[in-house]
Amino acid sequence: MLEIKNLKKNFSDKKVLKGISLKVEKGEIIGIIGPSGCGKSTFLRCINLLEKPTSGHIIFEGDDLIDNDNLEVIRRKIGMVFQQFNLFENMTVLDNIILAPVLLKVMTKEEATVEAKRLLKEIDLLDKASFYPNELSGGQKQRVAIIRTLIMKPEIILFDEPTSALDPEMIGEVTQLMRKIANDGMTMLIVSHEMNFIKNFCNRVIFMAEGVIHADGSSSDIFDNPKDEHLINFLSKIKNV
Amino acid sequence: MKKKIFILLLLILMVSGCGKKKEELVLVTEAGFAPYEYYENGEIVGVDIDICKRIAKELGMELKIKDVAFDSIINEVKTKKSDIGAAGISHTDERAREVDFTNNYMESKQVLVVKKDSYLKSPSMLSDEKIAVQLGTVADTYLTEKVPTVKIVREKKFLAAIQDLIDDKVSGVVMDEVPAKELITSDMVILEEPLVIDYYGMVVRKGNKKLLSIANKVIDEMKENGSIDEALLEHMGVKENVSKKNSLIDKFYYSVIYDGRYKYIIEGIINTIIIAIGAVILGVLFGGIASIIRNINGNTGKLKILNLLAKWYVTVIRGTPVILQLMIIYYVIFKSAQVNIVLVGILSFGINSGAYVAEIIRAGIQSVDKGQIEAGYALGLPYRYVMSKIVIPEALKNILPALGNEFITLVKETSVGAYIGIIELTKASDIIASRTYDYFFPLILVALIYLLITLVLTKVFNTMEERLNHARD
Repeated sequence: MLEIKNLKKNFSDKKVLKGISLKVEKGEIIGIIGPSGCGKSTFLRCINLLEKPTSGHIIFEGDDLIDNDNLEVIRRKIGMVFQQFNLFENMTVLDNIILAPVLLKVMTKEEATVEAKRLLKEIDLLDKASFYPNELSGGQKQRVAIIRTLIMKPEIILFDEPTSALDPEMIGEVTQLMRKIANDGMTMLIVSHEMNFIKNFCNRVIFMAEGVIHADGSSSDIFDNPKDEHLINFLSKIKNV
Repeated sequence: MKKKIFILLLLILMVSGCGKKKEELVLVTEAGFAPYEYYENGEIVGVDIDICKRIAKELGMELKIKDVAFDSIINEVKTKKSDIGAAGISHTDERAREVDFTNNYMESKQVLVVKKDSYLKSPSMLSDEKIAVQLGTVADTYLTEKVPTVKIVREKKFLAAIQDLIDDKVSGVVMDEVPAKELITSDMVILEEPLVIDYYGMVVRKGNKKLLSIANKVIDEMKENGSIDEALLEHMGVKENVSKKNSLIDKFYYSVIYDGRYKYIIEGIINTIIIAIGAVILGVLFGGIASIIRNINGNTGKLKILNLLAKWYVTVIRGTPVILQLMIIYYVIFKSAQVNIVLVGILSFGINSGAYVAEIIRAGIQSVDKGQIEAGYALGLPYRYVMSKIVIPEALKNILPALGNEFITLVKETSVGAYIGIIELTKASDIIASRTYDYFFPLILVALIYLLITLVLTKVFNTMEERLNHARD
């Protein structure tokens, strides 16, 4: 469903992504790991063009996103969850969730409200519907952010370090919700530093270093049977911590 | 495009709505120079006015009087905004190059005013003294050219020059003998020997032969039959010696009640508020348009030329003083057009304020968390929704307090409007002081009024801010 071809990204003269190619099939749960500054977040942000790639192609369900006049319509099908949640601070939880579907006329306001409340109820936050983001805990904010993406019925969701900004006791509620979504058949790309979570949750893991993919395989290929020198080095450092 | 049409409409409105009627002779003066021109009962009167009334009568026209800063008078006449200038203007070669002078109607002696106990006994002893004059008068030019060692203190008004002498900030004042007699206090004396004798004439635009010859005819007649001397006597002795009435109640009475002087203050308040409100509306409009252009360009790369214009607008306006902008708009852009000065004020201050508002809005937008904008784009929202639903409501929180600040600044800045003759609050206090010869009360009073206006505005804006914040809690 998603194919990335020779993606390159420079920030002024610094080469962050040096040619990344990747094919994602429907239903895959892909974890992206690698040392800080290896370009994994930039890679994720290039997929829905929050960062404009310097060169390369991003083909989503047959359409190339580069210089595509329909970018906004395609973006509806590519959900994104951010490290800092990025809820709209001036809106209630409910308004955060229904803003996009109503503005983009995907649903009427009534339909969107019903759907939003159903989703809120599933995550036990229905009583917070009229709260503002600054009244929620980090874990609650991130779960609302995930629902805000879900209501658009995306084909794939990009998770950019979804648990890094959370207190440890709140990580569980977010990963639990992610598991539930995965069970429903969602395709996911997850950048994370939570190695245990990636190892147990993802059915495919990609290791990036210095702007290129060094290893790509099943969870056990990567964690239990690493072959790439960089990867071995990276994993040994993590174990030391 | 819409902006252009709007400005065009505004200009048409200003020019057409306020056009000069055919039957008007427009006299320009600075009405703080008794007995030649001064305010009484809310009207400008004096020797010069009496003469000009006769000239207007001879022409079969109605006399209309404009009160501007002395240094603007020549410009007013040159740019056809006024027909004739009369303000005890001395005949100098320099001025005669710019405008035509009528025959002289008054011989004026520039004299030295000193304290009675002063060691200065003759104008020849001036060489190293500190002397006050009114800016741009014959005394100023004479001392600058002929006695360059004198330290000249240039005041906007004779009254301020005399005040300098009262406060011993200077050792003497050089000025015209007639107003000097009006202004001196009991411990001052006018030295008999004049520094220079010069001659007052009225000024008309070069080539305005008809007006010049009629003015000359009237002046010659009035000189002949003694009616100028009569007028001078009539207008002398109009000084009210406030210094003798020292109680606050007396000062209040003479500054506010007597002769209906509160009318100047009321007119001043009304003009100040009208200009400030009009300017803030224009300012938000211009600033809003400029920042929208800059934002669209920043996000999409479109509107390159407009963006450049908006950038220059902000740079030029912020880089030059508002007083110059006002005078350029009035004397250069609206050259030879009869426009309502209050509207010129609104336009000038509006254009000025727009540049600051543009920066306020830009800073407000930049302060919005980038993550929320990205979240909007990631959900598939187009630029216009990201701006209108996410960025602007968030930015408003930061913009509103700064905008309130800008409005308060604007209220005070309108005081510059007096330069083109607008009677706003500061000018009102000036008019009153020029009659009572006492700056203290009118200045304090007007300062208090400014303070009151800004306090009310601060309160209003604080309430609005609180509401905005409450809406989020």
